[in-house]
Amino acid sequence: MNISVSDVVLLAHAAFGVTGCLAALWVFVETINAQPGNATRIRTAALVTAVCMAAAWICGGYWYVQFYPPEKVLILKGPWPFAHNLFMETKEHLFFITGILAFLLPVATREQLSSNAAARKVVLSVAALVVVTGLVVEGAGAVINHGVKIALLRGDSKAQ
Amino acid sequence: MNSATAPKSSKLTAATAGFVLAAAITVLFNTALAWAKDASAPLTDFMTSLTGHHWTTHGAADLLVFAGLGILFTKSGIAEKMDSNRLIGALIGAVVIAALGLALWFAFV
Repeated sequence: MNISVSDVVLLAHAAFGVTGCLAALWVFVETINAQPGNATRIRTAALVTAVCMAAAWICGGYWYVQFYPPEKVLILKGPWPFAHNLFMETKEHLFFITGILAFLLPVATREQLSSNAAARKVVLSVAALVVVTGLVVEGAGAVINHGVKIALLRGDSKAQ
Repeated sequence: MNSATAPKSSKLTAATAGFVLAAAITVLFNTALAWAKDASAPLTDFMTSLTGHHWTTHGAADLLVFAGLGILFTKSGIAEKMDSNRLIGALIGAVVIAALGLALWFAFV
């Protein structure tokens, strides 16, 4: 088995991102039925969302700066250059939006959600935006990964 | 919802309102900075010189804007005076515009 630091960091980035999305979904569902009894769970889930997205930010940033440049060259020479030009360029900046929204969630969940309709709307909106933008970012990551894969596969088939 | 005994409120605290407004402004700032970097090589080079990579500087700038504006709006109470539905609408609208702005820019420009 040959698992490199690049592999571990990249997979950790994706895993933290998915976990952050699931935690935001948890916030959303608990907030629909907000009561004094689940306030602690909502705040915990909001904190998990923020921590996971911060970890995804750090892992993804480290991988992007340290390991992505050779893959970018491969993508641009391959059959799917848009995997970098459109998907990576959008993803690397869209992720900041997901991150900022994730950091907003613990602030908004400090409100008394069971008795404050406006605060519930804020939390539901922010949690939903984290889930939607987070899933778009995850999907873009899959396209980028496929861009590298088909560049390598088609490059190999040309060489044979 | 079991909140019959709790006092009802439809007003956001200064911190929540302040950071919601800060987030709306930050996501628009994020997209504007992405456009500016893509259009201006000297700006990208300058941002690279600050931290070693323009993306790192971009993220740090976003965090500074979000935290700075959030604290400013919380202390000043400006956002707290705004209607909560308008604040939520501003945040959702800003995220949609910012996200589409990024995708359309990199698709067509």
